Amino acid sequence: MTSLKDDFPKDEYQQIISLLGKEPNEVELALFSAMWSEHCSYKSSKIHLKKFAQIKSSKVVAGFGENAGVIDLGEGEKIAFKMESHNHPSRIEPLHGAMTGVGGILRDIFAMNARPIALANYLCFGRPDYPITKHLVDGVVRGIGNYGNSIGIPTITGHTTFHSSYNENILVNALALGIYGPEDKIMRSQAPQSGAYVVYAGARTGRDGIHGASMASESFSDQTEKKQSTVQVGDPFYGKLLMEACLEAMKKNVLAAQDMGAAGLISSSFEMASKGNIGMNLQLDKVPLRDFSMKPEEILLSESQERMLLICSPENYPHLQKIFQKWSLPISILGETISERKMNIYWKDKLLTSIDPLLLTEKAPELKRPFKKWGFPNRTSKKLLNESSKQTFEKKLRDLLEQKENVSREFIYRQYDQRVGAKTAEDCSFPIGVIQLPYSKRFLGIVLGGRSSLLHVDALEGGKDSILYPGIQLALRGFKPLAVTDCLNFGNPEKEEIMSQFVGAIEGMVEAADALSTPVISGNVSFYNESSGANIIPTPAIGMTGLKEELSSNWPKSYFENKGEFIYLIQKHDLTLSENHFSGSLNAQEISKWIQFLISISDKLNSAKTVGHLGLAYTLTQMIQNRIGAKVEVDLDPFQTRLYEVIVTVSESKKEEFESLSRLTPIGVTTSDKILEYNKNKLSIDAIKEIQQAHTWI
Amino acid sequence: MKPVGIIIFPGTQCDQDTAKACRLAKIPTQFIWYKDSFDYKNFSALILPGGFSYGDYLRAGALAARSPALKNVIQANQKGWPILGICNGFQILCEAGLLPGALVQNTNLRFIDQWVKLKCKNSSPFFAEKIKNFKLPIAHSEGRYIARTETLKELQDNNQIWLSYEENPNGSIENIAGILNKNKNIAGLMPHPERAIEKWMGSTDGCYFFKHWS
Repeated sequence: MTSLKDDFPKDEYQQIISLLGKEPNEVELALFSAMWSEHCSYKSSKIHLKKFAQIKSSKVVAGFGENAGVIDLGEGEKIAFKMESHNHPSRIEPLHGAMTGVGGILRDIFAMNARPIALANYLCFGRPDYPITKHLVDGVVRGIGNYGNSIGIPTITGHTTFHSSYNENILVNALALGIYGPEDKIMRSQAPQSGAYVVYAGARTGRDGIHGASMASESFSDQTEKKQSTVQVGDPFYGKLLMEACLEAMKKNVLAAQDMGAAGLISSSFEMASKGNIGMNLQLDKVPLRDFSMKPEEILLSESQERMLLICSPENYPHLQKIFQKWSLPISILGETISERKMNIYWKDKLLTSIDPLLLTEKAPELKRPFKKWGFPNRTSKKLLNESSKQTFEKKLRDLLEQKENVSREFIYRQYDQRVGAKTAEDCSFPIGVIQLPYSKRFLGIVLGGRSSLLHVDALEGGKDSILYPGIQLALRGFKPLAVTDCLNFGNPEKEEIMSQFVGAIEGMVEAADALSTPVISGNVSFYNESSGANIIPTPAIGMTGLKEELSSNWPKSYFENKGEFIYLIQKHDLTLSENHFSGSLNAQEISKWIQFLISISDKLNSAKTVGHLGLAYTLTQMIQNRIGAKVEVDLDPFQTRLYEVIVTVSESKKEEFESLSRLTPIGVTTSDKILEYNKNKLSIDAIKEIQQAHTWI
Repeated sequence: MKPVGIIIFPGTQCDQDTAKACRLAKIPTQFIWYKDSFDYKNFSALILPGGFSYGDYLRAGALAARSPALKNVIQANQKGWPILGICNGFQILCEAGLLPGALVQNTNLRFIDQWVKLKCKNSSPFFAEKIKNFKLPIAHSEGRYIARTETLKELQDNNQIWLSYEENPNGSIENIAGILNKNKNIAGLMPHPERAIEKWMGSTDGCYFFKHWS
């Protein structure tokens, strides 16, 4: 290994010397390189992320700083959930990058003693015709499937975008959600007391993923393909054993737990000690190894998967050992907690370093990178996707249906086990994923948000939309929005323009989340999504949960179910779109009220679907799967992007009640003649289905 | 009433779901750990649930088929005890030689999750006797049933083809989704009945599979 010294910016290296009072040795350099990386330290984002704390809520039991956020659902049930990015590794090695993305987020959930019950993923790829896109899509989808299917957690919803800005920087964001029953306690990561054992449990440590955290904190260059050794390798079978062993052990034998994820053993041990304001003696030679030639700093930095760091009292260790032996997993005491706030790291009898853990965590640099406040002058202004043209209705609609970006995502989600666990009420084919909660039997919805098509026009308005749009999706089915997790995927923060996008998007998200009373309880930041100077669209990916209080599973379908129903268009237009940009801005308060209104009418609806950015006509083609057609007459451009619009149908018997609540008149009816008719333009359902089936990925 | 024994291997996932389906049908259950030997006479039937036993290493079901619990499963079979293998359980029973043929990778070389329509071709007094046409979900990578020509002929002659797909999702020979052994006391199927036991799941046809041993 060459010296790490050269990797540090000069001022940070000087800061290290002044904190230590001496030149750092190789082991200390390894510690600082990992812990002060953007990925671990959040040094560029920290000051802005504090804004999420403004959103107050009594439901939040654990928030940022823990492995995952936890909210209380009442009736003895709590859920833990979090979304995390695995962008850089997935670009380098899509299969293992995506696998370990799923594995890592699952460990965050069961490290909190919540049993994982659902997965979701937010994916962005380059243009379908870009040379590497197909390879990346295939690898990432297989990776997500391999891990989730094999560990036995269903993937219940997803979001996939194709856009040229992701050509060389794909986004792979995985969300996991876990459940606590009335008897289950929340496990924290704070090392609780001195004199307790620090225990390594799980898979052996190998050389994979060394410097993964630093790699994920840099832009890509033409050297990218050479970074494969920085990508971790996942094994879902080990993941399953570790999950079962940990959940069994945490019932009573564990005092604190932390996943060994990014920056492996360093990050987990230093964070646990920092939070507890205590120290640890750690014997690195006690770490179970796959490769006995590993050097101490490699052991510290390895990001080998399926490992957990546990703290337990000495008298409980024999029980812990028994449980891990039952699950055929290595377990080893690395050392103990000490009252002095020092991390004493030993290799055999040699003391490698004795360092205050806070130097690596709280004393990490906090940067105030330059940015401009979001406003009209620096709003990006790109052409919107759907320009009006003189082509016929049918030609335009056919073009939209044929574009690979717009084809059904069934080829993706068909590769995911969506029902293992026997809790899935709505799978990936529905706009929101729904599971039945095992204790109260209520239904919980999960939906992803963050629309690239809007974000590349305006980060601030797109940031608001990333919260509001999923809120609308939940509301239409009668689910009350609860809380949010996010992955903030951005370009190079050293560029003012990117930092401005970042700050603008957060401002929008905070405004919307506050208005909707959906606290942001967990998440991560992924910067440096940049390749050879090209940056991605600002992409705050959102995972939102919602709860249906009534036990009924009668929510509206996403397609036309029966003929003879009345079709309405519910609209809430705050933002007008001119050719190149948004003018005006979204009023989050108003839209939140509208979301409450949608919840209140949801039980009157037989089918409901939001009109996406591809416009009304395209949305209608997505509602004909039951071979029920529709006849619509409305004075609106069928291909224009408008915020926000919802197509709903209401049966004859509820028509009067619905109209008195909504003050709307129908724009059409559903029919049995297998034709989609829009202002006299007709296209048969067979023709639409034929195009849909002919244009798929595989 | 004797409980149904549900065997858990390392990597088994559907143990809890299967127990839940039994509970719904008011059948008591008891879990059996793969390392423990057990007396089959204490159980009314045995179920090998779905999952990825041993992470599908070597071949799906290959390692579990050689684990200690299988010795007792083989004894149970010798006395004609009802034994049901679901998905990975079906793979294990084939690997153990308790059911003929083998389950190999789907023709499209991918994991497939979807709802399938099924037909019951032949019945056994032990398993879902009265059902004819029904809908269940599948979720597997290695669900393509294959058998030698003479084995297939035997299956046909002895009415051992239990369930077949209406539309073949994975390339199985003769659209086979489930088979019986010669004595009709062992059944294996790739679809997951335990995931179709409530209306909100999309189908309740799975309930038929958890009704016959009490």
